[in-house]
Amino acid sequence: MTSLLVAKQYIRKFYGKYEIFLVPLWKFVIAFICLMQINARLGYMERINKMTAVLVIALMCSFMPMNFIIIVAAAFVLLHVYALSLECAVVVLAVFLLMFLVYFRFSPKDTFVVLLMPICFLLKIPYVIPIAMGLLGTPASAVSVACGTAVYYLLAYVNESTATLTSMETEEITARFRFIIDGILANRIMVVTIAVFAITLIFVYLIRRLSVDHSWTIAIIAGALVNIMLLLVGDLMFDTNVAIGGVIIGTIVSALIAVVIQFFAFHVDYSRTEKVQFEDDEYYYYVKAVPKVTVAAPERKVKKINQQKKAHPSQRSAEGKRTNK
Amino acid sequence: MLNQERIILMTKMASYEKNEGKKNDSIMNYFRGDYVWLQVMKSFVCGTIAFGVVFGMYIFYDFEVFMLDIYKMDLMEFGKSVLMKYLLVIGIYSIISYAIYCYRYAKAKRGVKLYMNNLRRLASMYDKT
Repeated sequence: MTSLLVAKQYIRKFYGKYEIFLVPLWKFVIAFICLMQINARLGYMERINKMTAVLVIALMCSFMPMNFIIIVAAAFVLLHVYALSLECAVVVLAVFLLMFLVYFRFSPKDTFVVLLMPICFLLKIPYVIPIAMGLLGTPASAVSVACGTAVYYLLAYVNESTATLTSMETEEITARFRFIIDGILANRIMVVTIAVFAITLIFVYLIRRLSVDHSWTIAIIAGALVNIMLLLVGDLMFDTNVAIGGVIIGTIVSALIAVVIQFFAFHVDYSRTEKVQFEDDEYYYYVKAVPKVTVAAPERKVKKINQQKKAHPSQRSAEGKRTNK
Repeated sequence: MLNQERIILMTKMASYEKNEGKKNDSIMNYFRGDYVWLQVMKSFVCGTIAFGVVFGMYIFYDFEVFMLDIYKMDLMEFGKSVLMKYLLVIGIYSIISYAIYCYRYAKAKRGVKLYMNNLRRLASMYDKT
Protein backbone atom coordinates (compact mmCIF):
# COMPACT_ATOMS: atom_id res chain seq x y z
CA MET A 1 0.00 0.00 0.00
CA THR A 2 2.78 2.41 0.89
CA SER A 3 4.53 1.88 -2.42
CA LEU A 4 1.26 2.80 -4.16
CA LEU A 5 1.04 6.01 -2.16
CA VAL A 6 4.65 6.83 -2.94
CA ALA A 7 3.99 6.12 -6.61
CA LYS A 8 0.94 8.40 -6.48
CA GLN A 9 2.96 11.27 -5.02
CA TYR A 10 5.68 10.71 -7.56
CA ILE A 11 3.23 10.80 -10.45
CA ARG A 12 1.62 13.93 -9.01
CA LYS A 13 4.99 15.63 -8.77
CA PHE A 14 5.92 14.54 -12.25
CA TYR A 15 2.60 15.76 -13.63
CA GLY A 16 2.91 19.09 -11.83
CA LYS A 17 6.39 19.71 -13.17
CA TYR A 18 5.92 18.62 -16.75
CA GLU A 19 2.34 19.62 -17.23
CA ILE A 20 3.27 22.09 -19.92
CA PHE A 21 4.43 19.18 -22.10
CA LEU A 22 1.96 16.54 -20.98
CA VAL A 23 -1.25 18.47 -21.68
CA PRO A 24 -0.58 19.09 -25.42
CA LEU A 25 0.58 15.46 -25.75
CA TRP A 26 -2.59 14.26 -24.10
CA LYS A 27 -4.73 16.46 -26.38
CA PHE A 28 -2.89 15.16 -29.43
CA VAL A 29 -3.48 11.53 -28.42
CA ILE A 30 -7.18 12.10 -27.76
CA ALA A 31 -7.69 14.01 -31.00
CA PHE A 32 -5.79 11.36 -32.96
CA ILE A 33 -7.75 8.43 -31.50
CA CYS A 34 -11.03 10.25 -32.01
CA LEU A 35 -10.38 11.16 -35.63
CA MET A 36 -9.04 7.72 -36.46
CA GLN A 37 -12.16 6.10 -35.01
CA ILE A 38 -14.42 8.49 -36.92
CA ASN A 39 -12.55 7.72 -40.11
CA ALA A 40 -12.69 3.99 -39.43
CA ARG A 41 -16.40 3.85 -38.70
CA LEU A 42 -17.71 6.50 -41.02
CA GLY A 43 -15.09 6.79 -43.71
CA TYR A 44 -17.34 7.99 -46.49
CA MET A 45 -15.38 11.00 -47.62
CA GLU A 46 -12.09 10.01 -49.19
CA ARG A 47 -10.30 13.31 -48.84
CA ILE A 48 -10.24 13.36 -45.07
CA ASN A 49 -9.65 9.65 -44.70
CA LYS A 50 -5.94 10.03 -45.17
CA MET A 51 -3.48 9.62 -42.33
CA THR A 52 -1.67 12.87 -43.15
CA ALA A 53 -4.82 14.94 -42.76
CA VAL A 54 -5.57 13.26 -39.43
CA LEU A 55 -2.02 13.79 -38.15
CA VAL A 56 -1.90 17.44 -39.14
CA ILE A 57 -5.27 18.20 -37.60
CA ALA A 58 -4.47 16.27 -34.43
CA LEU A 59 -1.25 18.27 -34.16
CA MET A 60 -3.22 21.51 -34.51
CA CYS A 61 -5.62 20.34 -31.82
CA SER A 62 -2.83 19.84 -29.33
CA PHE A 63 -2.15 23.57 -29.23
CA MET A 64 -5.71 24.82 -29.23
CA PRO A 65 -8.15 24.80 -26.34
CA MET A 66 -10.05 21.64 -25.57
CA ASN A 67 -13.24 22.73 -27.29
CA PHE A 68 -11.43 22.91 -30.60
CA ILE A 69 -11.16 19.10 -30.62
CA ILE A 70 -14.92 18.87 -30.27
CA ILE A 71 -15.48 21.26 -33.17
CA VAL A 72 -13.00 19.39 -35.34
CA ALA A 73 -14.58 16.02 -34.50
CA ALA A 74 -18.06 17.40 -35.23
CA ALA A 75 -16.80 18.81 -38.55
CA PHE A 76 -15.28 15.46 -39.50
CA VAL A 77 -18.50 13.64 -38.68
CA LEU A 78 -20.53 16.13 -40.69
CA LEU A 79 -18.23 15.88 -43.70
CA HIS A 80 -18.36 12.09 -43.71
CA VAL A 81 -22.12 12.02 -43.29
CA TYR A 82 -22.52 14.66 -45.99
CA ALA A 83 -20.59 12.42 -48.37
CA LEU A 84 -23.06 9.68 -47.53
CA SER A 85 -26.32 11.56 -47.89
CA LEU A 86 -27.49 15.16 -47.60
CA GLU A 87 -30.47 14.43 -45.36
CA CYS A 88 -28.27 12.60 -42.89
CA ALA A 89 -26.00 15.60 -42.76
CA VAL A 90 -28.96 17.89 -42.11
CA VAL A 91 -30.22 15.71 -39.28
CA VAL A 92 -26.79 15.34 -37.69
CA LEU A 93 -26.18 19.09 -38.03
CA ALA A 94 -29.54 19.80 -36.41
CA VAL A 95 -28.73 17.49 -33.50
CA PHE A 96 -25.31 19.09 -32.97
CA LEU A 97 -26.78 22.59 -33.16
CA LEU A 98 -29.42 21.72 -30.61
CA MET A 99 -26.81 20.34 -28.24
CA PHE A 100 -24.48 23.30 -28.55
CA LEU A 101 -27.18 25.96 -28.42
CA VAL A 102 -29.22 24.61 -25.60
CA TYR A 103 -26.72 23.01 -23.25
CA PHE A 104 -23.16 23.95 -23.94
CA ARG A 105 -23.78 27.63 -23.49
CA PHE A 106 -23.77 26.85 -19.81
CA SER A 107 -20.91 24.44 -19.32
CA PRO A 108 -18.38 24.54 -22.12
CA LYS A 109 -16.09 22.42 -19.95
CA ASP A 110 -18.22 19.32 -20.21
CA THR A 111 -17.81 19.00 -23.97
CA PHE A 112 -14.97 16.62 -23.16
CA VAL A 113 -17.55 14.08 -21.98
CA VAL A 114 -19.38 14.22 -25.31
CA LEU A 115 -16.10 13.34 -27.00
CA LEU A 116 -15.20 10.51 -24.65
CA MET A 117 -18.63 8.87 -24.62
CA PRO A 118 -18.60 7.40 -28.16
CA ILE A 119 -14.99 6.29 -27.72
CA CYS A 120 -15.90 4.43 -24.53
CA PHE A 121 -18.88 2.88 -26.26
CA LEU A 122 -16.56 1.57 -28.95
CA LEU A 123 -14.26 0.16 -26.28
CA LYS A 124 -17.31 -1.55 -24.75
CA ILE A 125 -16.92 0.29 -21.45
CA PRO A 126 -19.46 3.12 -21.68
CA TYR A 127 -20.42 2.67 -18.03
CA VAL A 128 -17.19 4.25 -16.84
CA ILE A 129 -18.33 7.74 -17.87
CA PRO A 130 -21.49 8.03 -15.69
CA ILE A 131 -19.63 6.61 -12.68
CA ALA A 132 -16.57 8.81 -13.23
CA MET A 133 -18.62 11.96 -13.83
CA GLY A 134 -20.69 11.19 -10.75
CA LEU A 135 -17.43 11.08 -8.78
CA LEU A 136 -15.83 14.10 -10.37
CA GLY A 137 -18.68 16.30 -11.56
CA THR A 138 -22.08 17.67 -10.73
CA PRO A 139 -25.56 16.36 -11.56
CA ALA A 140 -25.57 18.75 -14.51
CA SER A 141 -23.03 16.43 -16.14
CA ALA A 142 -25.94 14.04 -16.67
CA VAL A 143 -26.98 16.23 -19.58
CA SER A 144 -23.56 15.98 -21.23
CA VAL A 145 -23.55 12.20 -20.68
CA ALA A 146 -26.98 12.07 -22.33
CA CYS A 147 -25.71 14.18 -25.25
CA GLY A 148 -22.69 11.91 -25.68
CA THR A 149 -24.87 8.80 -25.67
CA ALA A 150 -27.27 10.35 -28.18
CA VAL A 151 -24.36 11.22 -30.48
CA TYR A 152 -23.06 7.67 -30.29
CA TYR A 153 -26.40 6.05 -31.07
CA LEU A 154 -27.05 8.52 -33.87
CA LEU A 155 -23.74 7.69 -35.52
CA ALA A 156 -24.19 3.96 -34.92
CA TYR A 157 -27.56 4.18 -36.64
CA VAL A 158 -26.08 6.05 -39.60
CA ASN A 159 -23.38 3.41 -39.80
CA GLU A 160 -25.89 0.55 -39.77
CA SER A 161 -28.20 2.05 -42.36
CA THR A 162 -25.49 2.89 -44.90
CA ALA A 163 -26.66 0.20 -47.25
CA THR A 164 -30.30 1.22 -46.93
CA LEU A 165 -29.49 4.86 -47.48
CA THR A 166 -27.44 4.28 -50.61
CA SER A 167 -30.20 2.07 -52.01
CA MET A 168 -32.76 4.78 -51.27
CA GLU A 169 -31.02 7.33 -53.46
CA THR A 170 -33.72 7.11 -56.08
CA GLU A 171 -36.43 8.03 -53.62
CA GLU A 172 -37.40 11.49 -52.60
CA ILE A 173 -35.64 13.63 -50.07
CA THR A 174 -38.54 13.53 -47.66
CA ALA A 175 -38.70 9.75 -47.65
CA ARG A 176 -35.03 9.49 -46.71
CA PHE A 177 -35.46 12.20 -44.12
CA ARG A 178 -38.33 10.35 -42.52
CA PHE A 179 -36.33 7.14 -42.52
CA ILE A 180 -33.50 8.73 -40.59
CA ILE A 181 -35.67 10.53 -38.07
CA ASP A 182 -37.82 7.45 -37.54
CA GLY A 183 -34.74 5.42 -36.85
CA ILE A 184 -33.50 7.87 -34.25
CA LEU A 185 -36.74 8.53 -32.42
CA ALA A 186 -37.77 4.91 -32.28
CA ASN A 187 -34.44 3.85 -30.83
CA ARG A 188 -35.59 2.53 -27.49
CA ILE A 189 -32.15 1.28 -26.49
CA MET A 190 -30.87 4.84 -26.69
CA VAL A 191 -33.64 6.27 -24.53
CA VAL A 192 -33.29 3.52 -21.93
CA THR A 193 -29.50 3.88 -21.89
CA ILE A 194 -29.70 7.64 -21.45
CA ALA A 195 -32.17 7.28 -18.61
CA VAL A 196 -30.06 4.59 -16.90
CA PHE A 197 -26.83 6.59 -17.21
CA ALA A 198 -28.46 9.75 -15.89
CA ILE A 199 -29.88 7.92 -12.87
CA THR A 200 -26.54 6.17 -12.21
CA LEU A 201 -24.68 9.46 -12.36
CA ILE A 202 -27.00 11.23 -9.95
CA PHE A 203 -26.94 8.21 -7.64
CA VAL A 204 -23.13 8.08 -7.58
CA TYR A 205 -23.02 11.84 -7.00
CA LEU A 206 -25.42 11.70 -4.05
CA ILE A 207 -23.61 8.84 -2.35
CA ARG A 208 -20.23 10.43 -2.93
CA ARG A 209 -21.39 13.57 -1.16
CA LEU A 210 -22.34 11.73 2.03
CA SER A 211 -19.99 12.30 4.90
CA VAL A 212 -19.26 8.67 5.62
CA ASP A 213 -15.94 6.93 5.39
CA HIS A 214 -15.04 5.46 2.02
CA SER A 215 -18.00 7.24 0.46
CA TRP A 216 -16.26 7.20 -2.91
CA THR A 217 -15.76 3.42 -2.91
CA ILE A 218 -19.34 2.83 -1.80
CA ALA A 219 -20.49 5.20 -4.51
CA ILE A 220 -18.58 3.30 -7.19
CA ILE A 221 -19.89 -0.11 -6.13
CA ALA A 222 -23.44 1.15 -5.67
CA GLY A 223 -23.30 2.93 -9.01
CA ALA A 224 -22.13 -0.22 -10.78
CA LEU A 225 -24.91 -2.30 -9.20
CA VAL A 226 -27.57 0.30 -9.97
CA ASN A 227 -26.30 0.43 -13.55
CA ILE A 228 -26.60 -3.34 -14.06
CA MET A 229 -29.96 -3.50 -12.33
CA LEU A 230 -31.50 -0.65 -14.27
CA LEU A 231 -30.23 -1.94 -17.59
CA LEU A 232 -31.78 -5.34 -16.84
CA VAL A 233 -35.04 -3.71 -15.75
CA GLY A 234 -35.04 -1.65 -18.92
CA ASP A 235 -34.42 -4.79 -20.92
CA LEU A 236 -37.41 -6.50 -19.33
CA MET A 237 -39.75 -3.56 -19.55
CA PHE A 238 -38.91 -2.23 -22.99
CA ASP A 239 -37.58 -5.35 -24.62
CA THR A 240 -34.30 -3.82 -25.68
CA ASN A 241 -32.37 -7.11 -25.90
CA VAL A 242 -29.26 -6.00 -24.11
CA ALA A 243 -26.44 -8.54 -23.95
CA ILE A 244 -26.44 -9.18 -20.21
CA GLY A 245 -23.00 -10.80 -20.04
CA GLY A 246 -21.44 -7.86 -21.85
CA VAL A 247 -23.17 -5.43 -19.53
CA ILE A 248 -21.90 -7.17 -16.39
CA ILE A 249 -18.34 -7.50 -17.62
CA GLY A 250 -18.33 -3.95 -18.94
CA THR A 251 -19.65 -2.64 -15.64
CA ILE A 252 -17.01 -4.51 -13.64
CA VAL A 253 -14.23 -3.14 -15.84
CA SER A 254 -15.74 0.35 -15.52
CA ALA A 255 -15.88 0.04 -11.74
CA LEU A 256 -12.19 -0.93 -11.69
CA ILE A 257 -11.29 2.05 -13.85
CA ALA A 258 -13.36 4.26 -11.58
CA VAL A 259 -11.36 2.92 -8.61
CA VAL A 260 -8.18 3.95 -10.41
CA ILE A 261 -9.64 7.40 -11.00
CA GLN A 262 -10.59 7.64 -7.35
CA PHE A 263 -7.03 6.76 -6.43
CA PHE A 264 -5.61 9.60 -8.40
CA ALA A 265 -8.44 12.15 -8.32
CA PHE A 266 -6.32 14.78 -9.90
CA HIS A 267 -7.49 18.27 -9.25
CA VAL A 268 -5.42 19.79 -11.98
CA ASP A 269 -6.17 23.38 -11.10
CA TYR A 270 -4.38 23.17 -7.81
CA SER A 271 -1.34 21.08 -8.56
CA ARG A 272 0.29 23.26 -11.16
CA THR A 273 3.55 25.10 -11.04
CA GLU A 274 2.62 28.74 -11.44
CA LYS A 275 4.81 31.51 -12.73
CA VAL A 276 3.65 35.01 -11.83
CA GLN A 277 5.20 38.44 -12.13
CA PHE A 278 4.44 41.59 -10.23
CA GLU A 279 6.18 44.69 -8.96
CA ASP A 280 6.06 47.06 -6.08
CA ASP A 281 7.94 50.24 -5.28
CA GLU A 282 11.23 48.56 -4.62
CA TYR A 283 11.44 45.34 -6.62
CA TYR A 284 10.28 43.46 -9.62
CA TYR A 285 9.19 39.99 -8.56
CA TYR A 286 9.37 36.92 -10.73
CA VAL A 287 7.83 34.19 -8.65
CA LYS A 288 7.60 30.51 -9.41
CA ALA A 289 5.16 28.80 -7.07
CA VAL A 290 5.73 25.04 -6.93
CA PRO A 291 2.97 23.05 -5.23
CA LYS A 292 4.08 21.16 -2.18
CA VAL A 293 4.00 17.42 -2.45
CA THR A 294 2.63 16.11 0.80
CA VAL A 295 4.75 13.24 1.93
CA ALA A 296 2.44 10.50 3.02
CA ALA A 297 4.21 9.12 6.04
CA PRO A 298 3.40 5.43 6.29
CA GLU A 299 1.51 4.75 9.45
CA ARG A 300 3.47 2.70 11.88
CA LYS A 301 1.72 0.59 14.41
CA VAL A 302 3.80 -0.14 17.42
CA LYS A 303 2.87 -3.31 19.23
CA LYS A 304 4.13 -3.52 22.74
CA ILE A 305 4.63 -7.01 24.12
CA ASN A 306 4.90 -6.97 27.87
CA GLN A 307 8.45 -7.75 28.89
CA GLN A 308 9.75 -8.64 32.27
CA LYS A 309 11.53 -5.53 33.43
CA LYS A 310 15.11 -6.36 34.34
CA ALA A 311 16.06 -4.53 37.53
CA HIS A 312 18.94 -2.08 37.41
CA PRO A 313 22.18 -3.48 38.98
CA SER A 314 22.43 -0.66 41.59
CA GLN A 315 18.84 -1.21 42.53
CA ARG A 316 19.47 -4.93 42.85
CA SER A 317 22.34 -4.38 45.21
CA ALA A 318 20.27 -1.87 47.20
CA GLU A 319 17.45 -4.36 47.36
CA GLY A 320 19.88 -7.06 48.25
CA LYS A 321 21.22 -4.89 51.02
CA ARG A 322 17.73 -4.17 52.30
CA THR A 323 16.65 -7.78 52.24
CA ASN A 324 19.84 -8.88 53.80
CA LYS A 325 19.27 -6.64 56.77
CA MET B 1 14.22 44.15 2.20
CA LEU B 2 12.18 41.21 1.11
CA ASN B 3 9.17 40.75 3.30
CA GLN B 4 8.16 37.08 2.97
CA GLU B 5 4.61 37.49 4.18
CA ARG B 6 4.00 40.25 1.66
CA ILE B 7 5.49 38.22 -1.17
CA ILE B 8 3.33 35.21 -0.39
CA LEU B 9 0.19 37.34 -0.33
CA MET B 10 1.16 39.08 -3.56
CA THR B 11 1.91 35.73 -5.23
CA LYS B 12 -1.52 34.39 -4.30
CA MET B 13 -3.17 37.52 -5.60
CA ALA B 14 -1.16 37.47 -8.84
CA SER B 15 -2.08 33.85 -9.45
CA TYR B 16 -5.75 34.70 -8.82
CA GLU B 17 -5.51 37.61 -11.24
CA LYS B 18 -4.09 35.36 -13.92
CA ASN B 19 -6.73 32.67 -13.71
CA GLU B 20 -10.05 33.42 -12.06
CA GLY B 21 -9.60 37.15 -11.89
CA LYS B 22 -9.96 37.72 -15.60
CA LYS B 23 -13.27 35.90 -15.74
CA ASN B 24 -14.59 37.53 -12.60
CA ASP B 25 -13.63 40.98 -13.78
CA SER B 26 -15.37 40.61 -17.09
CA ILE B 27 -18.50 39.56 -15.22
CA MET B 28 -18.24 42.29 -12.59
CA ASN B 29 -17.84 44.98 -15.26
CA TYR B 30 -21.61 44.84 -15.55
CA PHE B 31 -24.18 45.68 -12.98
CA ARG B 32 -26.06 42.59 -11.88
CA GLY B 33 -29.25 43.49 -13.71
CA ASP B 34 -27.40 44.28 -16.93
CA TYR B 35 -25.29 41.11 -16.85
CA VAL B 36 -28.20 38.77 -16.16
CA TRP B 37 -30.40 40.53 -18.72
CA LEU B 38 -27.68 40.30 -21.39
CA GLN B 39 -27.11 36.59 -20.80
CA VAL B 40 -30.84 35.84 -20.74
CA MET B 41 -31.16 37.67 -24.06
CA LYS B 42 -28.43 35.47 -25.51
CA SER B 43 -30.20 32.39 -24.17
CA PHE B 44 -33.42 33.68 -25.70
CA VAL B 45 -31.83 33.96 -29.12
CA CYS B 46 -30.22 30.53 -28.85
CA GLY B 47 -33.48 29.02 -27.66
CA THR B 48 -35.37 30.59 -30.55
CA ILE B 49 -32.88 29.22 -33.05
CA ALA B 50 -33.09 25.78 -31.45
CA PHE B 51 -36.89 25.90 -31.53
CA GLY B 52 -36.73 26.95 -35.17
CA VAL B 53 -34.50 24.00 -35.98
CA VAL B 54 -36.82 21.52 -34.26
CA PHE B 55 -39.89 23.09 -35.85
CA GLY B 56 -38.25 22.96 -39.28
CA MET B 57 -37.43 19.29 -38.84
CA TYR B 58 -40.99 18.61 -37.72
CA ILE B 59 -42.46 20.32 -40.76
CA PHE B 60 -40.03 18.69 -43.12
CA TYR B 61 -40.74 15.28 -41.66
CA ASP B 62 -44.35 15.36 -42.76
CA PHE B 63 -43.75 17.73 -45.63
CA GLU B 64 -46.06 16.16 -48.18
CA VAL B 65 -48.89 15.69 -45.70
CA PHE B 66 -48.33 19.23 -44.51
CA MET B 67 -48.48 20.64 -48.01
CA LEU B 68 -51.75 18.84 -48.65
CA ASP B 69 -53.21 19.83 -45.31
CA ILE B 70 -52.27 23.46 -45.49
CA TYR B 71 -55.43 24.37 -47.33
CA LYS B 72 -57.65 22.16 -45.25
CA MET B 73 -56.54 23.00 -41.75
CA ASP B 74 -57.18 25.99 -39.62
CA LEU B 75 -53.99 28.03 -39.92
CA MET B 76 -54.93 30.26 -36.99
CA GLU B 77 -55.31 27.30 -34.66
CA PHE B 78 -52.05 25.77 -35.87
CA GLY B 79 -50.25 29.07 -35.50
CA LYS B 80 -51.65 29.57 -32.03
CA SER B 81 -50.62 26.10 -30.86
CA VAL B 82 -47.11 26.58 -32.23
CA LEU B 83 -46.88 29.98 -30.55
CA MET B 84 -48.03 28.54 -27.21
CA LYS B 85 -45.42 25.77 -27.39
CA TYR B 86 -42.75 28.29 -28.33
CA LEU B 87 -43.60 30.58 -25.44
CA LEU B 88 -43.61 27.65 -23.04
CA VAL B 89 -40.22 26.34 -24.17
CA ILE B 90 -38.63 29.78 -24.25
CA GLY B 91 -40.12 30.64 -20.87
CA ILE B 92 -38.71 27.57 -19.15
CA TYR B 93 -35.32 27.99 -20.80
CA SER B 94 -35.15 31.69 -19.86
CA ILE B 95 -36.03 30.95 -16.23
CA ILE B 96 -33.32 28.28 -16.01
CA SER B 97 -30.70 30.56 -17.57
CA TYR B 98 -31.78 33.44 -15.30
CA ALA B 99 -31.17 31.24 -12.25
CA ILE B 100 -27.80 30.02 -13.54
CA TYR B 101 -26.48 33.49 -14.39
CA CYS B 102 -27.64 34.97 -11.07
CA TYR B 103 -25.67 32.23 -9.35
CA ARG B 104 -22.62 32.91 -11.50
CA TYR B 105 -22.76 36.62 -10.78
CA ALA B 106 -22.93 35.94 -7.05
CA LYS B 107 -19.90 33.64 -7.28
CA ALA B 108 -17.90 36.21 -9.23
CA LYS B 109 -18.85 38.91 -6.72
CA ARG B 110 -17.59 36.74 -3.86
CA GLY B 111 -14.30 36.12 -5.64
CA VAL B 112 -13.77 39.80 -6.28
CA LYS B 113 -14.67 40.66 -2.66
CA LEU B 114 -12.05 38.17 -1.42
CA TYR B 115 -9.50 39.73 -3.75
CA MET B 116 -10.33 43.23 -2.53
CA ASN B 117 -9.90 42.09 1.08
CA ASN B 118 -6.50 40.70 0.24
CA LEU B 119 -5.64 43.96 -1.50
CA ARG B 120 -6.60 45.91 1.61
CA ARG B 121 -4.44 43.61 3.75
CA LEU B 122 -1.55 44.15 1.40
CA ALA B 123 -1.98 47.91 1.50
CA SER B 124 -2.00 47.85 5.30
CA MET B 125 1.19 45.75 5.22
CA TYR B 126 2.83 48.45 3.15
CA ASP B 127 1.60 51.17 5.50
CA LYS B 128 3.11 49.37 8.47
CA THR B 129 6.65 49.23 7.06
